[in-house]
Amino acid sequence: MAAADNTSAALRRRDLCSRGIRLAGKMRSDVVDLLDTYVERQGLDASASVAAVEGVPAAAVERWDEQTGTQRLLENLAAYRAFRALLAQMLEEQQEQLGEADAALGRALAAVLLQVSAFTYHLEELLRLESRGPPSEEGAEPPPAPHLSLFERKLRGLGVLRELAQWAVRSTRDLRQLAKPSPGSSSAASLAESP
Amino acid sequence: MFSGWNWVAHGLYLLWNICSLGVSGGLVQSCGHIIPESPVLTLGSSFTALCILNESCLDFGNIYANQIIWKTKNRVVPKEQYREINRTVSSVTFNDTSSLANPLTCNILADGQIEQNIYGITVTVGLPPEKPKNLSCIVRQVSKLAYPMTCTWNPGRPTFLDTHFRLKYRWPQENFPDCIPKDVNNSCMITDVQFFVNLEVWVEAENALGKAESDPLVLDPIEIVKPLSPHNLSVNSEILPTVLKLSWENRISVAVMKLKFNIRYRIIGDANWMQVPPEDTASPRTSFSVQGLRPYTEYVFSIRCMKEDGVGYWSDWSEEKTGVTTEDKPSKGPPIWRSIAVCHSPAFWTVHLMWKALEPFEANGVIFQYEVTVRSKSPLSSLAEKYNVNTTNLTLKLPNGTYEVTVIAHNRVGASPPSVLLIPASNSKAPVKSVRTLPKDGKLWVGWTAPNSYVLKYVIEWCLVSNSSDCIIEWQNEPGNVQGTYLKGDIKPFKCYLITVYPLYADGQGSGQSVKAYLQQDRPSKGPTVQTKKVGKAEAVLTWNHLTVDEQNGFIRSYTIFYKTVDGNETAVTVDPSKTEYTLSSLTSDTLYTVRMMAYTDEGGRSGPDFTFTTQKFGKGEIEAIVVPVCLAFLLIVLLGVLFCFNKRDLIKKHIWPIVPDPSKSNIAQWSPQVPAKHNFSSKDQMYPEGSFTDVSVVEIEADDKKSFSEQDLKPFDLLKKEKSTSEGHSSGIGGSSCMSSPRQSVSDSDEGETTQNTSSTVQYSTVVLNGYRDQTPVQVFSRSESTQPLLDSEERSEDQAGGGDSTTQRQHYFKQNGGQDETNTDRPCFERTKQIIHANEGDLVGFAQLQISGQSSQPLGLGLEKNTQEAALSDVLQESTEGQTVISQTVEGNPMLVDEMPKSYLPQTVRQGGYMPQ
Repeated sequence: MAAADNTSAALRRRDLCSRGIRLAGKMRSDVVDLLDTYVERQGLDASASVAAVEGVPAAAVERWDEQTGTQRLLENLAAYRAFRALLAQMLEEQQEQLGEADAALGRALAAVLLQVSAFTYHLEELLRLESRGPPSEEGAEPPPAPHLSLFERKLRGLGVLRELAQWAVRSTRDLRQLAKPSPGSSSAASLAESP
Repeated sequence: MFSGWNWVAHGLYLLWNICSLGVSGGLVQSCGHIIPESPVLTLGSSFTALCILNESCLDFGNIYANQIIWKTKNRVVPKEQYREINRTVSSVTFNDTSSLANPLTCNILADGQIEQNIYGITVTVGLPPEKPKNLSCIVRQVSKLAYPMTCTWNPGRPTFLDTHFRLKYRWPQENFPDCIPKDVNNSCMITDVQFFVNLEVWVEAENALGKAESDPLVLDPIEIVKPLSPHNLSVNSEILPTVLKLSWENRISVAVMKLKFNIRYRIIGDANWMQVPPEDTASPRTSFSVQGLRPYTEYVFSIRCMKEDGVGYWSDWSEEKTGVTTEDKPSKGPPIWRSIAVCHSPAFWTVHLMWKALEPFEANGVIFQYEVTVRSKSPLSSLAEKYNVNTTNLTLKLPNGTYEVTVIAHNRVGASPPSVLLIPASNSKAPVKSVRTLPKDGKLWVGWTAPNSYVLKYVIEWCLVSNSSDCIIEWQNEPGNVQGTYLKGDIKPFKCYLITVYPLYADGQGSGQSVKAYLQQDRPSKGPTVQTKKVGKAEAVLTWNHLTVDEQNGFIRSYTIFYKTVDGNETAVTVDPSKTEYTLSSLTSDTLYTVRMMAYTDEGGRSGPDFTFTTQKFGKGEIEAIVVPVCLAFLLIVLLGVLFCFNKRDLIKKHIWPIVPDPSKSNIAQWSPQVPAKHNFSSKDQMYPEGSFTDVSVVEIEADDKKSFSEQDLKPFDLLKKEKSTSEGHSSGIGGSSCMSSPRQSVSDSDEGETTQNTSSTVQYSTVVLNGYRDQTPVQVFSRSESTQPLLDSEERSEDQAGGGDSTTQRQHYFKQNGGQDETNTDRPCFERTKQIIHANEGDLVGFAQLQISGQSSQPLGLGLEKNTQEAALSDVLQESTEGQTVISQTVEGNPMLVDEMPKSYLPQTVRQGGYMPQ
């Protein structure tokens, strides 16, 4: 019975990883497209350098390959919860700013927001399978948005999207790492999915 | 005072009552109501309604529940369905709401008679929603980033109520707004779905009678995607003539899904698609090289895609694009055949070489030239002649012998392998056997039995046999290992084809074996036209012509002859199709027969036109058998009659042919010797060489010497004068043609008075021989007879020619002209002669008259003679007096009987020489 549960959990984990990888890939693809649209619609320079945005977790990490699976999941979850809040805020600001005039940008933002939300769900499920359970969101809430000028908000939005694109790449690698059969695991099949 | 207050109180009470009515029920207060109010009921369920009366109405109008009447759409509900709960409440129960009609009203009989409506409700009947079934969803890609999902379901039975359907979906951790169908109840489209997350989808149906939910459908939308087909398809030829490279763009991101493809292609003009093996295109790509194509062929390509793992739906086929492969050298030589005609010179052939243009898949390009090599296989010479032609035939005049013909086709890339045909001097090899045909699947199959020897290949030759066109040969090659094939050509039904199979050997050729065949037969287009060749009494020989091959429409299997009489049954006779003649026997004689003929193929027959004939009444020889005896009998009878007549000729002669007195034996012959010596016989002999008048006795009278007549001679004249002239004695004399003979010249030789006065047998003859005038030799002898017998016929003819006019009139006319010289007359010669007679001297007249008579044959002259024959005696009067005309006229008028009686008195008799022979 326990073996059957383990097998089921392994299959579930594998499925979550597989689809998480593909979702991250699509999310990255969509974010890249969105970045182009965003830069164009907000009148920004695509080559503009944006400093690190406060409240946006950095994708880059040292000793990435030394991280444990749970650690990876927790960092991903924290980042995507932050992105979810930031994107929701951006969507709200974008609607306030442009109204219905630029519905395409709003739809694209909403789509990315949904994907971020879906990816968050994947991470939470994986953490549950790790018998750990996802941490509460209360501690992970981003700091309240400082009062920024319109241009600053645009730049922050640009920074959020760029970082999200980075995170999509990292998440893909993280999940691949997680999907690798751990020593002693019966699941021999490897996932060759690559976006 | 109290009563006044009492009245005031009563008025206030009424006012309160009115006010209370107005307050409680608005403008009109109802005396009751029905519960439930406007219920929605399940179809087929039972239903009970209560009508509750207001207490106030009870007091005011003495109304109670037992007076309540329930109605559904003005129909009273049977009392059995009522129940009086208490004095203010009545209920009605319906066991089946399907029969419930709106509105349901509660009524009351006020004062037992007047029906008043208390209240009414509308009942809505329907069904609760069924659980939606067969929920399914599909994500149809509409653009690169738009993936709407459409879900459909079966809403279940009609509910007859306003039922709302909602498509609900959610993520495990997030709910989404419901999708509400517009205008339909079985589908809804979610405009944007996110992939790679399981989505739970279900349908909720709700109406006044309940709510139902479908089973949830949990799916990742990426698994139900129908992607857009690849676009911007292009086809490019490669270096290899059998390869074309396809390129396209995918419209779905690889991040969303990886794709696999199907590529189909076909030769343009061909409806059948071929497909690239799916395993060759099962991975993501944007180009593919299709191999194994035909050179120089235009292809049409199309492509579609779906999720690589096969989960989901295939896209639609992309737009079609065409491409042409490059040329290659011809893959085979053209099939070749020949026809040979003998030239005027027997030592030469006219060889017509013909080859077929290569099929496009064999030509592999544009054939611009054929190279034909003819090599004689004769041991004496092995010269090879080469011909380069653009057409597909070549006619050569060659000496008899064996030849090897080679044909090579050239296109821009190269030359084909050679096609070789051996033309032997004679087809001496074994032919095929048992050539047969069979129509199959709309085509004509030809089969044969192969000869024992190894056959290189077969040539099947065929042509359409027709009266209207020549036999145009078509042909095809078949390999030597087959013994049957379908004719590759436009084989028409109902047409006759002559098919010949030739076996070709490595060292020779077998003679052709032919067979005629139809792809499909039909009835003949017309029937034979039958006619009779010979008709007898009981038989008739019928003939007909064979139908032309164009009319046959199939193989004529038999003819059937139908014949019948007008009212008889039709008889049918089947005749072999090779015959063109048939004899119908046992026919009824002298009967009208109608005959027609039908020609039959395997598919039926058609009748020709009807032909009628009548059999003869008598058979052959029957008429002869009747006629010949009859003729013989007739001849026998005639012969017997002749013999009888011969035996009884005396008796017959006595009664029918009495002896006519022969003038030559008359009494005048007795005075013939008394004729003066001047009688010139020699001249008479000359004039009548045949001696018809040799026995005539001639009395020569001197024309100018009247006195030379003796008294005896003149006696008859006197007698005649006495007899014929009744009133005028000077008009006596021998009668003659008043026209041409003068009384002095003509001498009446009528018999003596007693002879003349004798009965009808008395004949008067006169023979007049004119003497020359004054020693002139008479040129003509005029023999005259008073007998009218020989002249009767002439007289009758003259009468006919005179238009049937009266002879008397004619005579009058004649004499009138004679007297009146100025008047014209149709008898002009006669008139002129008369004038001469009148004005010339008598001697001249005689000679002239003789000339006229001798040359006479003219009718006027004859007429004159005839008319005046019996009046010869009167002619003297004419030459004596100018009053003669009157005299003669009177004489004629006065002597009608003489004219009538005289012919009866005479019998025709030849005047013989010797003159008058009174009997």
